[in-house]
Amino acid sequence: MLPLSIKDDEYKPAKFNLLLKLSGWFRSILADKTSRNLFFFLCLNLSFAFVELTYGIWSNSLGLISDSFHMFFDCTALLAGLAASVISRWRSNDSFSYGYVRAEVLAGFVNGLFLIFTAFFIFSEGVERALEPPDVHHERLLPVSVAGLLVNLVGIFVFQHGGHGHSHGDGGHGHSHSLFNGTLSHGHGGHGGHGHSHDGHGHSHDKHGDHGHSHGGHGHGHGHGGHEDCHNELQRPGEGSSKQILQGVLLHIIADTLGSIGVIISALLMQKYDLMIADPICSMLIALLIGVSVVPLLKESIGILMQRTPPTLDNALPECYQRVQQLQGVYNLQEPHFWTLCTDVYIGTLKLLVAPDADTRWILSQTHNIFTQVGVRQLYVQIDTAAM
Amino acid sequence: MEDKYSSNVLSGGKLGMVEVPDSRLTRYIVLLILSKILKALGIFESYDILKVVHIVQFIFILKFGSAVILLVFQKPFSSGKVISKRQWIKLVKHAVSSCVISLLGFFGLTLCGPLRTLLLFEHSDVVVVALLGVLFTNSGGGPSKTRGAAFFIIAVICLLLFDNDQLMAKMGDHHPEGHHDSALTHFLYTAISLLGVADHKGGVVLLVVSLCLKVGFHTASRKLSVELGGAKRLYALDSLLSAAVMLPWAAVLTATTESKVDSWSSLAVPFAMIIFSVVILEFYVEAVCSAKMEAPRCARYGAFALFPAALALANFWTGPLRRPPPTQLATEHVLSGGVIVSAVFFVMASSILTAPSKKGQKGTLVGYSPEGTPLYNFMGDALQHTSQSLPRFIKDSLKQILEEYDSRQIFYFLCLNLAFTFVELFYGVWTNSLGLISDGFHMLFDCSALVLGLFAALMTRWKATRIFSYGFGRVEILSGFINGLFLMVIAFFVFVESVSRLLDPPNINTDMLTPVSVGGLLVNLVGICAFSHAHSHAHGGKSCSSQDHGHSHHGHSHGEHGHAHGGHGHSHGGHGHAHSHGSGSRGMNANMRGVFLHVLADTLGSVGVIISTILIRQFGWLIADPICSLFIATLIFLSVIPLLKDACEVLLLRTPPEQEKDLNSALEKIEKIEGVLSYRDPHFWRHSANVIAGTIHLQVMSDVVEQRIIQQVTAILKDAGVNNLSVQVEKEAYFQHMSGLSTGFQDVLAMTRQMASMKYPNDGTLIL
Repeated sequence: MLPLSIKDDEYKPAKFNLLLKLSGWFRSILADKTSRNLFFFLCLNLSFAFVELTYGIWSNSLGLISDSFHMFFDCTALLAGLAASVISRWRSNDSFSYGYVRAEVLAGFVNGLFLIFTAFFIFSEGVERALEPPDVHHERLLPVSVAGLLVNLVGIFVFQHGGHGHSHGDGGHGHSHSLFNGTLSHGHGGHGGHGHSHDGHGHSHDKHGDHGHSHGGHGHGHGHGGHEDCHNELQRPGEGSSKQILQGVLLHIIADTLGSIGVIISALLMQKYDLMIADPICSMLIALLIGVSVVPLLKESIGILMQRTPPTLDNALPECYQRVQQLQGVYNLQEPHFWTLCTDVYIGTLKLLVAPDADTRWILSQTHNIFTQVGVRQLYVQIDTAAM
Repeated sequence: MEDKYSSNVLSGGKLGMVEVPDSRLTRYIVLLILSKILKALGIFESYDILKVVHIVQFIFILKFGSAVILLVFQKPFSSGKVISKRQWIKLVKHAVSSCVISLLGFFGLTLCGPLRTLLLFEHSDVVVVALLGVLFTNSGGGPSKTRGAAFFIIAVICLLLFDNDQLMAKMGDHHPEGHHDSALTHFLYTAISLLGVADHKGGVVLLVVSLCLKVGFHTASRKLSVELGGAKRLYALDSLLSAAVMLPWAAVLTATTESKVDSWSSLAVPFAMIIFSVVILEFYVEAVCSAKMEAPRCARYGAFALFPAALALANFWTGPLRRPPPTQLATEHVLSGGVIVSAVFFVMASSILTAPSKKGQKGTLVGYSPEGTPLYNFMGDALQHTSQSLPRFIKDSLKQILEEYDSRQIFYFLCLNLAFTFVELFYGVWTNSLGLISDGFHMLFDCSALVLGLFAALMTRWKATRIFSYGFGRVEILSGFINGLFLMVIAFFVFVESVSRLLDPPNINTDMLTPVSVGGLLVNLVGICAFSHAHSHAHGGKSCSSQDHGHSHHGHSHGEHGHAHGGHGHSHGGHGHAHSHGSGSRGMNANMRGVFLHVLADTLGSVGVIISTILIRQFGWLIADPICSLFIATLIFLSVIPLLKDACEVLLLRTPPEQEKDLNSALEKIEKIEGVLSYRDPHFWRHSANVIAGTIHLQVMSDVVEQRIIQQVTAILKDAGVNNLSVQVEKEAYFQHMSGLSTGFQDVLAMTRQMASMKYPNDGTLIL
């Protein structure tokens, strides 16, 4: 056996070369579809924000400046997603023995949190304004919000398109499967977001539908057991592009889109009918929608971060325990821990108490086999022999 | 069988009630419901009759009629034991008290109207006994009963306070010159007016009191009924005697007052019906039903039938024998919202109070003890998941909070903060100052961070469950992370705000700022002291130097610059400390750090506000405010970064940095163990502050004892700080087998899936 740890004698830390590093990042960003999309959209967003900022400074309009800062804040979500999608492809090293795949979950979580913050702020603002509606200068509101809407729509299209292209690339048969699985769930969501971006109400429904779909899709894959499905599942961690990042980013974009739509609608209402109350009501509704649609994402990512037993395995695990315990020579099964590393990668550890004369080798491989069938990727089985 | 025994073991020590399936009891239930509806009808009728007939006469007729019928049916004199003299005396006492209770009840009826009377007075004994048990004893039967009692009380209060019945007010107006028919009613009226409540409310109180009396009376009469040989016999005798007791009074009344009744004959039918429905039928049906079903169930169905029936009747009742008095419209007792709400509450209360106690539902019968008592096995789940009532939950969690140092600290500070906030809010509302109010809301928002920290500190101590198999220790880190993010967002917004102010400095009203911000500063300083103390506590060993730290910290809080540096340096210092000791304690946990940073940021904010206020006042530098905020935002940002970084590392499952060196040397040691060829996939990660989990695969030679190696490895890694380890030992052959397997992992997975779908006996014989 070769020693597996690398001695760092021959490894000299390379001189910090910003250019090299930047180009490296750039390349790794462009290497993957998801991160490329994210990157382009980020660029678009940033440029829009800069244009807004410069125009605001030039025309000395405070509203535009603050709006551009808001855009910058939005960009952080994209940035987080982008960073996560790059980071999650880093190799594992001594310190990060599992690699950085969890970054995607973290990014989704952060995005969800930011959205909750935003929703909260909008809501409180809406309440404040509902109590005493200020007179909004709606003459300049409209163009800015329409432009923001356009940018966000582009974003939604990009993600939707990217998703579809990806799914087609995966191969003819894989189409239906991969459509449901992981990567494409965002494409689906994007579609929903787009379709619904014209009326805000249906949005949350669709989010729910989307969520249900991804789960349903999972069941599908398991039941039919197509090859493509497995391939997909196996290659994903390497490729990055996870559900969490995209779900988070997409939610964010949809939230922004909804926001612009709300602003446009309320601006129109105010212009046409002088309904001053429309603005706070719209913003409160939007805040509620955002809040509701973020909850599933947050719940899922918190579950993963807290090493919860994967919900998809909830039903399968007891049966597996039963089967392991029925193996010949196994007395008992202790300390079963199962958790999600990142999307669809499950890791488990358990301890088996076996009879002194049991065939541990056989038990070990049987156990591995049993748990591999339900989708546990890495399994650590410690076999303790019972005292005589 | 099992179900039967598992239902109600713990409550009261006796074997639980047996819930017979509904289908067998349908007859009785229908009968019960019918009798209850008839009773409601009867009560409504008697209300109408009571408008014209005096209450004493009414009760006399009622008792007399029922006595006649019961004498015919029960034949109490010819059957059963001979009644002794002492029992006769008891019977007379019994009859007198039953008369008093009926009087009170029907008087309440005249006051409150039939609907409210039905709601208040017609509760089964079981309900009231359960209610009183909850209220006056400790062993009330668990949180659900408490909830039921609360519902009941709410319902009564609803009737008392939110039931605005115009008629009752009117009656209150006209009763002094109205029908003071007898000394008794007069006395009652005076008593009620002495209580200082309106008439109908007095009626409610009266009814509640008489309800309690009734229940006490029923309980007391149980012994007598046993002595006399049956409740029915007692009832018959009691009616007879009560009629006898009432006779003189009724006779005197009839003689002295002129009757309002036109013709007694026209009242015969309603009286008969009332006697039949209210007195006779209900008694028999209840007797039968409680023989067939258990009493609580009986009471439950009774309540379900009676209250809706009463509500419906109150809506639709147009008495068939209503005299049309001129003031009819005014004297109608209307349905009010309060009544409906209280009816709903009454139904819920009685259904909860009569529900069988859920405790011990999950216990399973394991067998019988030698003495023949059944033995039950209670799973951990069953004991954990009893329903929680809110007060008890609060009490429990308070106890838990105060148990541990961290959470106690947070809790006290939260209280302080909240108190300050509320004072500010009240003062703001009082003086109508918008600035104070908005600042108060801002404080409230800040409190959310504290609440989060508190919650996390509590949750960390939860036991591991099946789903969260590593326990909830991670909540702490997540909470720290969220708090850090929160601060980042706030810093960002402050930054943006100050940039926009820098461009366009607004005119700030500085009058009010100073006292408020000084107050906030003081509160936050207290918080910092408390938490930095916690910090020193966490350090434990080196309390002396930490104390120094804390002090310098404190001293610096007057100059924001030094202060911030103090804070920053502090957190780093704590870090370095942990490094040098390397004993697994990472100074403060992430949660506390997050809370601490939050408080620190607030302090910085108030300091900034004070300084800028002073600058603006003294020198008129309006620009000072945005610059201060810019500075503060940057400081917050910088101080949060280490926390965020640490939390991220933990969440990304990094090998704990403090243990890294130990772990590496441990791994080297492992390789040197005799018989170990090599290891593979060593993963070590910190799950929470005091749990480090690890997994490792070992390849060993085929001729060594696995157990010995596992023990050695476990010991070595335990020394390195890993306390949740699983070691998978692989003999060489197995390793080759598995490595072959993992190269073709996808194929294997696909194969096994295919196999499962093709319904092979999937016991996994494929691999061997």
